[in-house]
Amino acid sequence: MIALRIQKKLDGPNGDMLLDLDIQIQKGQFVTLYGASGAGKTSTLRILSGLLQAEKGKIEVNGTTWFDSATKVNKKPQTRNIGYVFQDYALFPTMTVEENLLFGLPKKGDQKEVTTLLEMMELVDLKDRKPTTLSGGQKQRVALARALVQKPAVLLLDEPLSALDMKIRLKLQDYLLKVHKTYELTTILISHDIGEIYRLSNQVFVLENGKVIKSGTPSEVFLNDTISGKFKFKGEVLKIEKDEVVYLVTVLIQNEVVKVIAAASEIKRLTIGDRVIVASKAFNPVIYKIE
Amino acid sequence: MNRLQGDIVQIETNGHLSIVSVLVSEAVLLKAIVVETPTTAPYLKEGNTIAVLFKETEVIVGIGPVDGMSLQNKIPCIISQIEKGALLSKLALKTGQAAITAIISSKAVTQLNLTANSKVSAMIKLNEMMLAEL
Repeated sequence: MIALRIQKKLDGPNGDMLLDLDIQIQKGQFVTLYGASGAGKTSTLRILSGLLQAEKGKIEVNGTTWFDSATKVNKKPQTRNIGYVFQDYALFPTMTVEENLLFGLPKKGDQKEVTTLLEMMELVDLKDRKPTTLSGGQKQRVALARALVQKPAVLLLDEPLSALDMKIRLKLQDYLLKVHKTYELTTILISHDIGEIYRLSNQVFVLENGKVIKSGTPSEVFLNDTISGKFKFKGEVLKIEKDEVVYLVTVLIQNEVVKVIAAASEIKRLTIGDRVIVASKAFNPVIYKIE
Repeated sequence: MNRLQGDIVQIETNGHLSIVSVLVSEAVLLKAIVVETPTTAPYLKEGNTIAVLFKETEVIVGIGPVDGMSLQNKIPCIISQIEKGALLSKLALKTGQAAITAIISSKAVTQLNLTANSKVSAMIKLNEMMLAEL
């Protein structure tokens, strides 16, 4: 478990800002920090990794104290057992893919770990290439593999996928989920992409001006989902057509297209592309066997 | 979606189901059956203010006495406006301070001779009512 209780004065977008957090993250969770630029998300990761020091507070990870302002404990970043992946890859340009990974390996580390990661991240064919010859998605796979060679307990991801196009992004999300599970990591992601947050994380902290203003599962945080209907799906509006006094709304729910008759009051704030909940009572649907 | 606000005055629970009675105004008591209990949905508490939601297309409109029917939700209304389509018509209804919309067949509007200012009962089945936390 990560217990983070810290205070740190920061230069916020509107002058001085106090980053003031008291959060707990259970082992094995995939957590997202969400919020506007300058809310304190990156600073939180930097404080957790030891790259930035809090003025007051305590950081405890899996029973070990990493930082405690009261007793002046402050573990060095390299001893904090953290993997850190940034948006801009931060690979060594003069080293090959494999050398980049070996560089991250601790002195007594097992070289087999590098081979395993090259295989898992499908980098074997690229292992002798230099980073400059790789695509963005490939570079980020290398960066992720390098962050994992030291077998971190905590993986920090600072918008790792935001520079990549949608298709590569989805693929890399699969890699992230895979390594999160395989290495039993506690992962903290910074992301602005709600689809990505839904896919990856089981807990979200929303930061505003250095404070957590909301937290919960992605559904609890992003959906005003408080109605009692039990036949309920999330989807995306594809089309809205007027028919007499009603509207026919076409909604994509996973791979199925459904249609909903809506009244004017329901479509008032709807536009194509909106994420919506389609809900009905559990009493309405009919059910029958299809074979 | 029609949305009326009121206070929960009674909750009857059996197994997974509850019938929740919501007093919207002196004249209007609405009931909803939900697959929830006060344990699964903590907002189900007598005295809590809650929203009752129902779809415009699920409203039945009747004139005259409507006593001999199984419907649990009968709201006395006055029609404030009718927008007539070829097949369907939209009725704007008023009950006390609240407004309800009903979408019914245009044929029924003609058959029942409904016009603005007609007195009607808006009726909704127990199982078409949803509840929403405020």
